[in-house]
Amino acid sequence: MLWYKSWLDTRSRFLVGLVLLVLSACGTVFYYPQVLKLMPMASTIEASGDLGRRIREGVALASNYRGYIWSQWMRQAMTNLATLFAVLLGSGGLFSRASGDSALFTLSLPASRTRVLGVRAATGLAQLLALAVIPALFLPLLSPGVGQSYSPTDALVHGVCLFVAAATFFSLALLLSTVFTDLWRPLLIACGVAIALSLYEAALRGQSTYGIFRVMSGEDYFRTGRLPWLGLFSSVTASAAMLFTATRTLARQDF
Amino acid sequence: MADSLVIETADLRKRYDDVEALCGLSLQVPAGSICGFLGRNGAGKTTTIKILLGMARPTSGQARVFGLAADRPEPSVAIRRRTGFVSEDKDLYDGMTVEEIVRYTAAFYPHWRVDLEQRYLRKFELPSGRKVKALSRGMRTKLALLLAFSRGAELLILDEPTSGLDPVVTEEVLQAIVGHVAGAATTVFFSSHQIAEVDQIADRVAIVDRGRVAVAGALEDLRETYCRVQMVFDRDAPEPALRTPGVVRTRRDGRVLSVLSSAGPEGILDEARALGPVSTEVVAVTLKEIFLETVRHED
Amino acid sequence: MLFRPNPASGVPIYLQLMEQVKHSIETGALRPGEQLPGIRPLAEELVINPNTVAKAYRELEHEGVIELRQGAGAFVSGNARAKELTDKVRAGQTVVAAVVGRLRARGVTDEEIRRLFEAELAGLRKTGERRG
Repeated sequence: MLWYKSWLDTRSRFLVGLVLLVLSACGTVFYYPQVLKLMPMASTIEASGDLGRRIREGVALASNYRGYIWSQWMRQAMTNLATLFAVLLGSGGLFSRASGDSALFTLSLPASRTRVLGVRAATGLAQLLALAVIPALFLPLLSPGVGQSYSPTDALVHGVCLFVAAATFFSLALLLSTVFTDLWRPLLIACGVAIALSLYEAALRGQSTYGIFRVMSGEDYFRTGRLPWLGLFSSVTASAAMLFTATRTLARQDF
Repeated sequence: MADSLVIETADLRKRYDDVEALCGLSLQVPAGSICGFLGRNGAGKTTTIKILLGMARPTSGQARVFGLAADRPEPSVAIRRRTGFVSEDKDLYDGMTVEEIVRYTAAFYPHWRVDLEQRYLRKFELPSGRKVKALSRGMRTKLALLLAFSRGAELLILDEPTSGLDPVVTEEVLQAIVGHVAGAATTVFFSSHQIAEVDQIADRVAIVDRGRVAVAGALEDLRETYCRVQMVFDRDAPEPALRTPGVVRTRRDGRVLSVLSSAGPEGILDEARALGPVSTEVVAVTLKEIFLETVRHED
Repeated sequence: MLFRPNPASGVPIYLQLMEQVKHSIETGALRPGEQLPGIRPLAEELVINPNTVAKAYRELEHEGVIELRQGAGAFVSGNARAKELTDKVRAGQTVVAAVVGRLRARGVTDEEIRRLFEAELAGLRKTGERRG
């Protein structure tokens, strides 16, 4: 019953996220013909400096379909949406007052706090996996519709990278939910952290090849075909550490 | 069976930041009794209950339910499997309907009694399809009671079950409690600051004051051993230093000296005769008086 | 049993119940040999602790007003005993009525009369002998 309740609690968020991600994937695919028409024009744009460099880079990437998908969808919309929904799924844990639920009622049931949190985390992660993989699988499915093809393996790999990296934000939000009892603070803090990290990564773009959003968008895989093992491993470790801390925090709390 | 203690705490202490909610609370509740836990607001009733159910952890001291340690996770789950609880605010899941929350709760208890569930659904006239948040306070309380009763629990812990209820619903709730207990070997531990209802249905009482149990025992015994000795003098009443044990409070009002005793009147009468009163009388004392005199502090 | 015990009256509930049973016997609402309600149903009906009902029944049995039959329940004692005992109560009531009348004639208020009786009873019960 705990599983069912967890599902009920996060069902709306999950479905909204799934729809948005699928729509944005489809939108990107079906916009490709438009982009093709605009391409010749783009190459003639005269812009200097950083902006110019970026436009030229964007044009270069978009010159093939795979690059287009990666640069236009995975690097931006997909990672942003996934991060947002990872945080949303992790906020408002089973003990928060947000949904009109009672912590005392849950705590009076014969289920240990660890089990309750565990079920909540597992449900959330399963939902996140679905959010990461299903929209990606629409790519190989729909690309023939615009006369292109996209490798299902690529889609799957990107989906998994997205999941593992986004799971870090999910775990962060879940941890914050055990510390703060309301819905908003975990949400805002986790989003704040995400924004700070992305700015930091953007600033260090030249120097460093590390960064959680790099892992999330699967940049290394896209460019070199190699999986970002270090990044994946760090994400998994960070998630595990945060979930463990969440369990310990919850176990010690007074209600 | 009457010899076994369902609830037992020893020198229980709980500190929240710089507030001592419990200062050495020792309590014993034998199996099969209906025990009233009386105390003023803030005396420590809810804190004690939360500790018994594993919702809060004691700073020090021991708390055992069914002989299991209440402050450790696995025993606490075992305790909750055999305990029904109604919180002070009748906490439930607002978003579910009556039917849904009954099914949800039932799933956690292998010994769920469907017969009791059906009986109380009918008796309390709870509408299956209505959302919990749309229920009146009285109906919420009844639903919470139904969920507590139907799990086939050996112990019921009720935190101020009748608070905020009108007299009719209060009587219905008390009747449901008595009716349920009468048919099963269940212990009831309920906190209250309504003395009348403790008087009515409890056979044991524990008065908690400022984090400690001040008075405890079978109601019958308390009614027998507590008494007031009233003495009238022909001059202003003296300020006696009564050495008899069991003196709870001494009051002087003009020529009348009144002594509340928890150990019978004999010792006091003996000492008092030496003071030469004009008349003495021994008066029975109600639970209300015992409570008020125990918890009112004139510092 | 159509009465509501009063927990705040100062008279223990079991005594109130005993009084009610005797009164019922006297008025004929309960006849000799008739069965009394079971402890549990009665406790539920009156919304009092079952032990209180049990105690009242035990005391009534001790006084001989009722009989507790193993496995069958509580029954009003056969003819003579119950009637005789309630007659005793009725005689007592006559005495009390006379005393109360006399005290009132002397200007003692009802409240004072009540306290005198309670004190006398409480005193006798606790000290087991007359004081003063």
